[in-house]
Amino acid sequence: MKTRAYHRPRTLDEAFALKREAGPDARFIAGGTDLMVGQQQPATLISLRSITDLAGIDVGAPTKIGALTPLADLLANKEIAALYPAVTQACHTFASMQIRNAATVGGNLCNASPAADLAPPFLVHGARVGILGPDGAREIALEEFFLGPGRTALADDEILTHVLLDKPAPETRAVFSRKTRVRMDIALASVAVLLELGDRVCRKARVAAGAVAPTPLRLTAVEQLLEGKRITPKLMADAAELAKTCIAPVDDIRTSADYRRRIIGVYIRRALEELCA
Amino acid sequence: MSETIAFELNGQPVRVAAEPGQRLLDLLRGPLRLTGTKEGCAEGECGACTVMVDDRPINSCLFPALEVDGREVVTIEGLRGPDNRLSAAQQAFADAAGTQCGFCSPGMVLTATALLNENTDPSDEQIRDALVGNLCRCTGYVQIVDSVRIAAEHLRGES
Amino acid sequence: MSDFRYVGHDTPRPDGGDKAAGKAHYIHDLERPGMLFGKIKFSEHAHARILSIDTSKAERLPGVKAVLTGYNTPQIRIGFLRDNFALKRDKVRQFRDEIAAVAAIDPDIAAEAVELIEVEYEPLPAVFDPIEALADGAPLVHDQDARGNPVTSNLVPMPCRHESGDLDAGARAAAFIAEGEYSTPLIQQACMGTAGCIAEFDTSNNLTIWAKTQIPFLAQRDYNRALKEMGLVGKNARVIVPAMGGGFGTGLDTHAYEYIAILLAHRTGQPVKIVYTRQEEFAYLSPRQSSRSKIRQGCDENGKLTFREVIVLQDNGAYVSWGATYPSVMLLPVTSLYKVDNVRFESTIAYTNNTYCQAMRGYGNPEVSWAIESNLDDLAAKAGIDPYELRLINCNEPGETTPMKLQVTTCGLRECLEKTADGLDWKNRRGNGKAKRRGVGMASLIHTGGGGRIYRSDASGMILKLDDFGNVNVFHGGVEMGQGLHSAIHLGLAEALGVKPEQIKINETDTATCPWDVGTHASRGAFMALKSAIIAANKAREKIFAMAEELFADIVAKSLAKYRKRYPDYEPPAFDVAAAARRDRFELCEGEVFIKDAPDEPWLKVELSQLLRAGHFRNQGTMLTVESFYDPPNELPDMKTGTGNISATYAYGTQGAEVEVDTETGEVQILKMVAAHDVGKVLNPQTLKGQIYGALAQGIGYALTEEVKTKNGRILNPGFTDYKIPTVHEMAFPIQLEIVETDDNEGPFGAKGVGEPGLVPTAPAIANAIFDAIGVRIHDLPITPEKILDALDALKQPTR
Repeated sequence: MKTRAYHRPRTLDEAFALKREAGPDARFIAGGTDLMVGQQQPATLISLRSITDLAGIDVGAPTKIGALTPLADLLANKEIAALYPAVTQACHTFASMQIRNAATVGGNLCNASPAADLAPPFLVHGARVGILGPDGAREIALEEFFLGPGRTALADDEILTHVLLDKPAPETRAVFSRKTRVRMDIALASVAVLLELGDRVCRKARVAAGAVAPTPLRLTAVEQLLEGKRITPKLMADAAELAKTCIAPVDDIRTSADYRRRIIGVYIRRALEELCA
Repeated sequence: MSETIAFELNGQPVRVAAEPGQRLLDLLRGPLRLTGTKEGCAEGECGACTVMVDDRPINSCLFPALEVDGREVVTIEGLRGPDNRLSAAQQAFADAAGTQCGFCSPGMVLTATALLNENTDPSDEQIRDALVGNLCRCTGYVQIVDSVRIAAEHLRGES
Repeated sequence: MSDFRYVGHDTPRPDGGDKAAGKAHYIHDLERPGMLFGKIKFSEHAHARILSIDTSKAERLPGVKAVLTGYNTPQIRIGFLRDNFALKRDKVRQFRDEIAAVAAIDPDIAAEAVELIEVEYEPLPAVFDPIEALADGAPLVHDQDARGNPVTSNLVPMPCRHESGDLDAGARAAAFIAEGEYSTPLIQQACMGTAGCIAEFDTSNNLTIWAKTQIPFLAQRDYNRALKEMGLVGKNARVIVPAMGGGFGTGLDTHAYEYIAILLAHRTGQPVKIVYTRQEEFAYLSPRQSSRSKIRQGCDENGKLTFREVIVLQDNGAYVSWGATYPSVMLLPVTSLYKVDNVRFESTIAYTNNTYCQAMRGYGNPEVSWAIESNLDDLAAKAGIDPYELRLINCNEPGETTPMKLQVTTCGLRECLEKTADGLDWKNRRGNGKAKRRGVGMASLIHTGGGGRIYRSDASGMILKLDDFGNVNVFHGGVEMGQGLHSAIHLGLAEALGVKPEQIKINETDTATCPWDVGTHASRGAFMALKSAIIAANKAREKIFAMAEELFADIVAKSLAKYRKRYPDYEPPAFDVAAAARRDRFELCEGEVFIKDAPDEPWLKVELSQLLRAGHFRNQGTMLTVESFYDPPNELPDMKTGTGNISATYAYGTQGAEVEVDTETGEVQILKMVAAHDVGKVLNPQTLKGQIYGALAQGIGYALTEEVKTKNGRILNPGFTDYKIPTVHEMAFPIQLEIVETDDNEGPFGAKGVGEPGLVPTAPAIANAIFDAIGVRIHDLPITPEKILDALDALKQPTR
C-alpha cells in the first residue's frame, strides 16, 4: 500500500480538518523516521512539520518541549544539558545524527516502542504530555500515555503537542544508560535514575526502565525503597534485586528476558553508585 | 496526485513533480537523475542515502520528498567545485584510502562534510559520533576516520 | 621505503576520486533504453509442493509486461551440481525459492504485481538440522539428482577427507590432549551495494548482462548453458561488470535472479533490471555457510604437536553452491597451520530446508581456524605451556612440505608471532589482569597467497593496447570490488613496463574484450593481475625496443635538428646514435625511451607516444598490442586424499587481542589488537592497510555480534536493525599493524595475496584473550555477552 495523499497543513485547525475528512486511513506524521520505514504506508499522511508552534524548547518551571522538536535540537540545547543531563545523554546515544535531525520528541513518544529512549529520562523528571484534539486539550502523566507496545492514549484524531518536565531541585542528579549490541542499536534495556540527595539521605528517587516491559515504566517499588534512606552499598544492591522483580522482560530476536533482567539489576546499581559518588 | 515543488538543489533552483508517498531518495535518483546518493537499507540504518536538507544531514530514504519544498538540499554532487574539483572532504577520502568499493562513500562524505561545517577540529570521539549512522563493510573505518582528520587539517589551513 | 619506483609507495587509488564524488556507477545506477524492472516472488514455505500458481491478476495489472513461472519457461538448471533451478516447479525446498517473476515498467508496479500472484502449496515435512537430515527417515530435500537418478539420503555427494601419518600413534604419543566442539553461525556478507543485474538481448538473441559478479567468465559459461536450455543454441552471453559495491564472495556463483532477469528480458524483448532491496538481500541471497567442528589435538611434554583431528559437519541448505566446497580450503589450516605430522580431516555436508549458502571471504578457513586456534590454547593450558611458546615450538618454516603437500616457499609466521607477542606486551599482560578481567590472546593463519586452484584452470590474462598518446589500455578479467585491484595494476604495470601510473587506463571487465580469468577470489586478484602484467609488459618492452631499433635514430636526428635551431651554440656530445640504437641497449622509464649508456641530453629521449606514432604512421605501419596468459604452478587438490599444492605461495599471519571483560554484563571490550601479516611485498601501503583493517572489522563482527538467525528455515533478522555489523565505534580501539615482507619468489614484486587473511584469526584471538582474562572458553560464535554470563555462571557451579 502506497501513500496516495500527503498534506502539509500550516495550522493545527487545518490538520484536524484534513484528518476529519480523510478518516481512519490517515495518520499524522512528524519526522517520518518510524512511519517511513517499511512497504506498508498509510493511504493519507498529514505532516505536522510546517506547524512551527509545535516545535521549541522553553526551559523553566516546568520545562516545555514542543512535540515537533527534532532530537538534534534537544541534544544541542545547553540549558537542557545543564538541568536534565539524563535527557541529553539519551539524545546523545539516540540512533545517529541523520536520524536525530529528522526524528522528533513527539514522534519518539507516539511510536510507543517499549524501548523508546526518551521515555525513561522523561519519566524520572515527572513528565506530563499535552494532547490536543478537535474537541479540546488535555494533559496526562507520561506513565498513563503508554498503553502497550505501539499503543498510546491518543485517540485516532489527537496529536501530542508538548512534553512538560518538572524543574529539578538544586540537589538533583540523574543519569541514563542503555545496553546495546553495537553503538547504533535499539536498546536491549535502558535505565534512568534520578536522586535528590541531602546529607547522603535520599529525599527523592525516581527510577524508570525501558525495553523490559510492554511499555517504558517507572519502578515505583524501587523508588519507595530508596526514599528517605541513606544510600549504602547494601541498599543499592537491594534496589537492584528489587528492580529485577518489577519488570516484565521478554525473549526476542535481540536478547533474552533473563539477560534483560540481569542488565537492569547491574545498571540500576551502577547508576546509584554513579549518582552517589 | 503529484504536486510540483520548488527548492534549491546544490545551489540551483529546481521545480519538479513529487508524489505523495515518494521518498526524497527516489526523487533525487529518479526524476532528478542524481544517482550519487545510494539506497543501502531503506530503513535509516546505514546512511548510504545521506543528503543535507537545510544544512542538516538526514536519511533521504526516510524523508518525504514533498517536505523539501522551499528548502535547500545538498547531495554528493553538490560538493564538487567547478571544473571537477573535489571538495576538501572528497579529496581527503580520495587521497587517504577513505573509499574502497565506494558505495558508502557519498553518504560518508556528506556526513563528514556536515560535521566539518560545524567543527573543523573534531576530536576522535566527535568524528565517531558523527559517523555512527554510516555503515561501511569494506574499510573497517580506520582510514575513513583518518580521511576526516586530514580534511579537517586542510580546512584549518594546516596541511 | 620501497626499492621500486612505484610499487610499495603510498599512492591514492585511481578510482578513489570518482567514488568519493559519487561518480562511480553501480548496477543500481545503470539504465538501458526501454528498461523494465523485474521483481521476484519467493516461497512462503520451507518445504512444500507447489499445487498451483495463479498469475492472472498480476498479468492484468497495467504496466506489467511479463509474468513468468517455472511452468511457462524452459527449465534452467543452475549450480555446479545442477540441483537448483532458476524458477521452481513441483516443489519448493527453502523459504527463498523463486516461484514467479514479473517485469513491469516501474519497480512499484512490479512489486504490486508480485503481491497479486497467488500460490497454493501443500506443506511437506521439513528438516532444519544437518544431523536430523542425515538420520534415517528424514524428509528428503531432493529425491533425484540432476541426471534423474533417485537419491535416498540428504548427504551432499562431496566428500572431503584427509589422512596423513598415523593418527592413533600420534594420539598415543601425546602427553596432553585437548578436545572440543565448536560452531560458527550463518553470516551475511552484507555488501553495502546489494545484488542485482541488467539483462538485455539483441535481436539475434545474443545476451549482454551487467552483473555483480566476481566470476565473469565462469558466469558466461553458466549463462551460455542457460541460453542453450532456452533453445538459443549457439548464442553468446557477454558479461560486463560495473562498479560492484562490495563482493566478499557473493559474486562467486551465479544466482537464480540473474537467470530470471535473462528469462524476463527474452520474453519481453526489453532490458530487465533486477535489484535486491536490503531486506531481499538478507532474506534471499545466500549467506556464509555455518559449521560445526569436533577437534582433538595433542602434544608431547615439550609442546610439540603430535596429532590433530578435525571432523566438520556443514548444513548445506537446499541447494549446493560454493559453501559446499569450503572443506577444500579448510584443509589448509587443518593440515598445515603449525607443524603436525599426523592429521585426520573429514567433512560431511547435509542438505536441509534451510537457506543454501555460498562463498564468503575466508571460505572455510575462519570456520576451522576458530576451532583449531581456540583448541590450541586449551591444549596449552593442559600442558602448562604458554600459548605463544606453544605456537613458536610448532611454527611453520620456509621450505616445508606440509601433510597436504603444500610447498611452503616463503613463510613469515615466526616473525608474525613474535611481533604480535611484542605488540601485546605479552609477557607482562598474559594472565596478569585477572583482577581487572583483562587478558591477551593470539591466533595465526595460513591461507592461499598465490592463486588457489579449485577449478581446472587457475589462470588469468591481460591485454595491453598501447596507443598514439602513450596510453596503455589494459584489458583484464579480474574484478575491482573495492579491494584495490586497479591500484595494484596501476603501480605494478607502470613498474614493469616503465611508464607513469597515470598512463595506465584500465577498461571495464567485459568477457567480450578481456582475456579469461577464473575469478576474483582466493585472494588471487592482484597476484594474478600482476603476474600477467609483468609477462605482458616484458613482451611490450621487447616490441617497443625492436621498434626503437628501427625508428629511434631518425626521431632523435630530427629532435637534434630542432634543438640546434633553438640553441645555435649547442655542441652535441660525440655519440653514435645509429650504432648504439640496438634493442638490447634501450630502456623505457617514466614513459620515455632512451639508450642506456647515452649522454643525458633532452633530445636523446623519445616519448613513448612519439615512438608509437612513428611506428603507426610509417608505410606498412604497426600498432602495439600484446597479450599474456599466466597459469600459476599450483595443483587441483585431490578431494579423496585431501592433498595438493593448491597455491603458488601461502600467506601467513598472526593476530593478537587485549580485551577487558565486564563480568557483570558479559560485555567484551577490545583494548588493542595487533595484526601481523606476511604479505610478501607491499604493493601499495594504503590499500594493503585497507584490506587488513576491513577484514579485521569483519572478523570482529564474526567474533562478537553477527549471526543470521533462523527458525524453521525462515530468516528472522533480515536487516541491519537486527543483523549487527560493526559501526565506526566498534573499531575505535588501537590497531597495531605489523607488515612482514618475505619477498616471495613466485609473487609479483614478491607480493602475496592479502584479501582474506585479515579475518581468519580474529575470532580465536579474541576468544583466547577472553580465556586469559576470565578463564571462560566460548565454543560457539558469536561471543555474545549472554554466552559470557552463562559460561561464568557455569564456572561457579560445583563440578558434578
